[in-house]
Amino acid sequence: MKKPVRLILAVAVIGLAIWGWRVWFPGPQNAIRARLLKLARTVSVEPGEGAIPRGLKAQSLGDYFTADVVINLEARGFDTRELQGRDELMQAVMGAMQHVRGLKVEFLDINVTLDAGDQSAVANLTGKATVEGERDFEVQEFNFKLKLVDRTWLIYRIDTVKTLSQTTALRPSQVPVGL
Amino acid sequence: MLARIVVLVVAVFLARAYVVLPIHLRGTSMLPTYQDGGVNFVNRLAYARSEPKRGDVVAIRLAGQSVMYLKRIVGLPGDTVAFHKGHLLINGAVVEEPYLNSGCDWEIPPETLAPNLYYVVGDNRSMPEKLHEKGKTPRQRIVGRVLW
Repeated sequence: MKKPVRLILAVAVIGLAIWGWRVWFPGPQNAIRARLLKLARTVSVEPGEGAIPRGLKAQSLGDYFTADVVINLEARGFDTRELQGRDELMQAVMGAMQHVRGLKVEFLDINVTLDAGDQSAVANLTGKATVEGERDFEVQEFNFKLKLVDRTWLIYRIDTVKTLSQTTALRPSQVPVGL
Repeated sequence: MLARIVVLVVAVFLARAYVVLPIHLRGTSMLPTYQDGGVNFVNRLAYARSEPKRGDVVAIRLAGQSVMYLKRIVGLPGDTVAFHKGHLLINGAVVEEPYLNSGCDWEIPPETLAPNLYYVVGDNRSMPEKLHEKGKTPRQRIVGRVLW
């Protein structure tokens, strides 16, 4: 076997090993990212998806939130709304899911900051929502606050980040690496 | 041949990460200067040796750089920014904005920018003020200036 081919194979094997290690033994940050990505898929609605699957997906949202979750929504052009408690959230999501033809939700650029004891975390992310059949999409920055409950990361608070209404400079932890 | 491909891939990766970032423009807030659907590049090194200037069109990150706002800087740190009868006022004086092609009736009370904060707004002032994303952003969120 030629030397360059052996080198490429070696790099590929090492890359595969690192990927496998991360998949099977995710650190808290990767576990939170994976959980939030799964949440985004759960609240997305396929165009042909029936009412029952939509209802089941809304029910499964309970697995992601604490019972006393608080959600503050302050999107541009919409009234401010606060949802308090998992039940109110699930009802709101269920109602919304039944009325849209299709909705793709994505959580992009998830930056996770853990507390000192790895028992709670803040995930700063960009939410992107694309309604089926519409060319434009909506984006909004959020802070998701999570805590570890029985070895599961649960969301206990979501706050809208007003990206262009900053009153102070960013905290160092909010500045992503590379900027 | 393989070495050339590897070098090319690494060069493209480094250029994208540290020099220029390709962007696909979506939305109408920067009309008429930038059309919906256009393509441009963000020069990440634009502010390596100088600070952003009034009139610069810049990319502003949200949580990261997958989706960014494209806005024009109209207010610099320490400036007092206001809109009166649709006119931009900086430190109480009306600023000429030749890049606009539509008037508006925006009324925004004066606000003095803290150090490190820039005031950014789109060129499309025909949009209702409440639907137009604009406001203050820290220097750290400014990724770079658009190339053209």
